[in-house]
Amino acid sequence: MDISFRIRRYNPEAGRPKPYWQEFALNDVEPTQRVLELLHRVKWEQDGTLAFRRSCSSGICGSDAMRINGRNALACKLLARDVGPKIQVEPILGLRVIKDLIVDMEPFLAHYRQVLPWFVNDGPLPADGRERLQTQEDKDLVTDSTNCILCAACTTSCPSFWANGEYVGPAAIVQAHRFLFDTRDTGDDARLEALGAPDGVWRCRTIFNCTPACPRGIEVTRAIGEVKLAVRKGATAGIIDPATIKQQH
Amino acid sequence: MTSLVITVTETLRYRGAIGQWSWVLHRLSGLGVVLFLVLHVVDTSWAVFWPELYEEAIATYQSPLFTIGEFGLVAAVVYHAINGLRIVFFDYKPHLWRYQARAAKVVAVVTLIILAPVFLLMFGHVLDFYNSAPQVLPLTEVLRAQLVFLPGFIAAIVAALILSGLHGLISGGDGATGAVDPQGSRSERFWWSFMRVSSLLILPLVFGHLAVMHVLQGVFDITAQGHDVVGTGLINESGTAVEFVARRWNLLVGGVAVWRVYDFALLALVVAHGFNGLRYVLTDYTSHSPFLRRASVYLCMLGALTLLVLGVGALLGTIDETAVEMGVEAMERLHAGS
Repeated sequence: MDISFRIRRYNPEAGRPKPYWQEFALNDVEPTQRVLELLHRVKWEQDGTLAFRRSCSSGICGSDAMRINGRNALACKLLARDVGPKIQVEPILGLRVIKDLIVDMEPFLAHYRQVLPWFVNDGPLPADGRERLQTQEDKDLVTDSTNCILCAACTTSCPSFWANGEYVGPAAIVQAHRFLFDTRDTGDDARLEALGAPDGVWRCRTIFNCTPACPRGIEVTRAIGEVKLAVRKGATAGIIDPATIKQQH
Repeated sequence: MTSLVITVTETLRYRGAIGQWSWVLHRLSGLGVVLFLVLHVVDTSWAVFWPELYEEAIATYQSPLFTIGEFGLVAAVVYHAINGLRIVFFDYKPHLWRYQARAAKVVAVVTLIILAPVFLLMFGHVLDFYNSAPQVLPLTEVLRAQLVFLPGFIAAIVAALILSGLHGLISGGDGATGAVDPQGSRSERFWWSFMRVSSLLILPLVFGHLAVMHVLQGVFDITAQGHDVVGTGLINESGTAVEFVARRWNLLVGGVAVWRVYDFALLALVVAHGFNGLRYVLTDYTSHSPFLRRASVYLCMLGALTLLVLGVGALLGTIDETAVEMGVEAMERLHAGS
């Protein structure tokens, strides 16, 4: 199949101070090729100055989130046949564009750090001095939120975040969810404090753009809702009903 | 400003699903209702404080511009109320999120089902009014009457900016409101719950208010001489808007001025809900500037305070014979003028 590719470019160092659209035509594209491969073809065959991030190319590292045909996705997970013969690619919104499809992830990562995304437990180690074990049922509470790869597709699909970069954003809330509902973790108070701030979870207006944007299929808006309830009632108030957890494969 | 422009243009460009459009409609309908709320509470307080002006205000409400606005207002209130129920439901049952898109469609359908008969009845009042060869204020008069609000809006904005500036000077200037502080956390938590609880209380009150004042009878019947005053079983003898309000507010049931109590409950809840909603909207788009963000908060506080003072003042005031006479004179002047 032939593809017409429209890419949002920005390269102030090359004497173009404003972003602009550039079109590329690609022939003999396999329908099963991924958008990332098409970006590679543009870069390798037509214009070596095109800049974008990618690392593993397998939907794990989370570096190639971009807005593809109007919706956030990972370029390495979308197939040409699913996007159609006209593909429009632009950087994710709400973070400063550095060059072409590359944005400054630092504000996003600052919000991530804000929720203390690490395991907190200063209690004595278990008798064997090794792992803090938990039951399968307890682990199920956070399995979905452990799937987050910090690609920022959810946070940059959120109109609240576009309007207000101070908003902690969906990804950081999902990461907080992962530790808040971890039964072995004891860092809830500090996390709930950060999340309950005026630019914490309350800026979520349940617009639901984040959930379909997640390349890992995380129930993002659900996680945010559960964190809101945790801020009000505490994370140990039995907010997640185990019977409602989706089956993980 | 840029953050608002980006949000508007990118919301149009981003291929969000139905939830995104529900959010847009919820914001727009809320903003529209708050704007009308300001005009309406101030106007209604004039029934007590400035009867002549109240007659003029009701005359403007009976003009074609406000009739169109009235249909928009009723649609906005109904949509905002029903979609609000959807929001509250998924806030308390987040695991059912898969149904939110379907719920958004149900909201649209329920809104239309409610609006269809309501609009028919309202349209009936409009037809009755225009069939009776009424005297209608010209558009220029209607707009001129609204112009008096402009200095009020400007004064409120200027006052909010000054307060924000003073606040900045006293607190040392930086004090970004987004910072983590326990006080902010507690009040945000309170307001989040308040919005949800108040919405459930407002729903029956506002639907009752709309039914009584806009559907069962029209805005036109407020000044119909010899017409019943809806909800009282009494007759509006002078046909003035002032007497209409007096009959409603002076009605005692078991020694209680029931309509005053009703209107007070509605006023307090809607003002708090509406201005906190406005605060959400304004602070969403002013995060880049602590100064403007504080000013937004002050503006909402000033607006809410003004409406509460005027509204409660009017609800506690008396409307006597002299006020009705002033209403009659004002009405004669209005009719002679048009």
